[in-house]
Amino acid sequence: MHTIFSRVNNVSAFLSSCLMSLVLAVAIASALYHTYQTPPAAGVVVNSIKVLPGKGRYLRKYRSRQQQEFAFVNFNLTADLSPLFHWNTKQLFLYVSAEYTDQQGTANEVVIWDRIVRRKEDANISSTFKNKYHLKDMSTTFRNAPPAHYTLKYNLMPYVGLLAWGEAARTSEPIPFPEPHQLA
Amino acid sequence: MFSDELKALRRLGFRHVLLQVLNFVQVLASGFMMWKGLGLITNTESPIVVVLSGSMEPAFYRGDLLFLTNPADQRYATGDITVYKIPGADIPIVHRVLETHDVVAKPDDYVAASPLAQPQLLLTKGDNNPVDDLDLYQGLEWLERRHIIGKVQAFLPYVGYVTIAMNDFPQLKYALLGGLGLLALIQRE
Repeated sequence: MHTIFSRVNNVSAFLSSCLMSLVLAVAIASALYHTYQTPPAAGVVVNSIKVLPGKGRYLRKYRSRQQQEFAFVNFNLTADLSPLFHWNTKQLFLYVSAEYTDQQGTANEVVIWDRIVRRKEDANISSTFKNKYHLKDMSTTFRNAPPAHYTLKYNLMPYVGLLAWGEAARTSEPIPFPEPHQLA
Repeated sequence: MFSDELKALRRLGFRHVLLQVLNFVQVLASGFMMWKGLGLITNTESPIVVVLSGSMEPAFYRGDLLFLTNPADQRYATGDITVYKIPGADIPIVHRVLETHDVVAKPDDYVAASPLAQPQLLLTKGDNNPVDDLDLYQGLEWLERRHIIGKVQAFLPYVGYVTIAMNDFPQLKYALLGGLGLLALIQRE
């Protein structure tokens, strides 16, 4: 009846159900904490935008690199995201995206910068940045593109449990794309 | 060789063997039902996936378990972590959405019943990769909803490593199966 096998079986089953309920409690507590938390204070200000012509990536459809306009954005971020660090925060994924709806009605959202924040000490950001990723319009030119909003968003990634997303800041006014620079 | 086992079977009787088979089938069927039921609720073909590559490190490592949903009434947004499968590729990929373009069809083309019926073009990138996924799309220019299995909603570390270990070291699989079989033989109740 009370063989070693059944004892080991009982103990390991008990331990694993304890562990599972602990994990569940942590996940629920941190999800509740996040829903009732005041959103973090942050600001994003665009300093300058330049539009330059260049060559895009090689596409199999065209069998070549197409002529394409690229926007270069210089922006300022001020954000204190340290309140988002709690007992179940593994890291924050911060990203800045440009959002605009063009005349055809296509809603575009393009991430131009991102950063992974792993420590609470690094969550206080106040600095100037340039875009890390290409900002280009699907029509290859920004000539008809309307002004764009720039937003700072975050993705909270936990040690265990639910992931959370949120918007920390947004430019107050949409910022127009300038006329493209001509390269000599 | 198996005469002892055969004798034991004969002593237990045909009905008992059938009952054992029924129990076994029931366990299999209820597992399958739970998996498919979860798939129905979350609207995805595989609601739980194991991370197989390091392209989302340091967020997700090999062997972490991800829980997916794919709500039909929601669009994907930048920053969402999606699991997608390109036709012709053999394994699904877990990467983050970098660009979304919610296209509106031309008026003379067709009239969509709702904004959600309009196509959405996506570009993804792994957090740990230096460039976006265009080269992984096998000639596609954009990812679309039909390629996407789901969005990552929850995370459980390490648990999926068992399956990876069993794939990487087949000996482990046979050892585990053999061990279980031996236990089943020894434990006569």
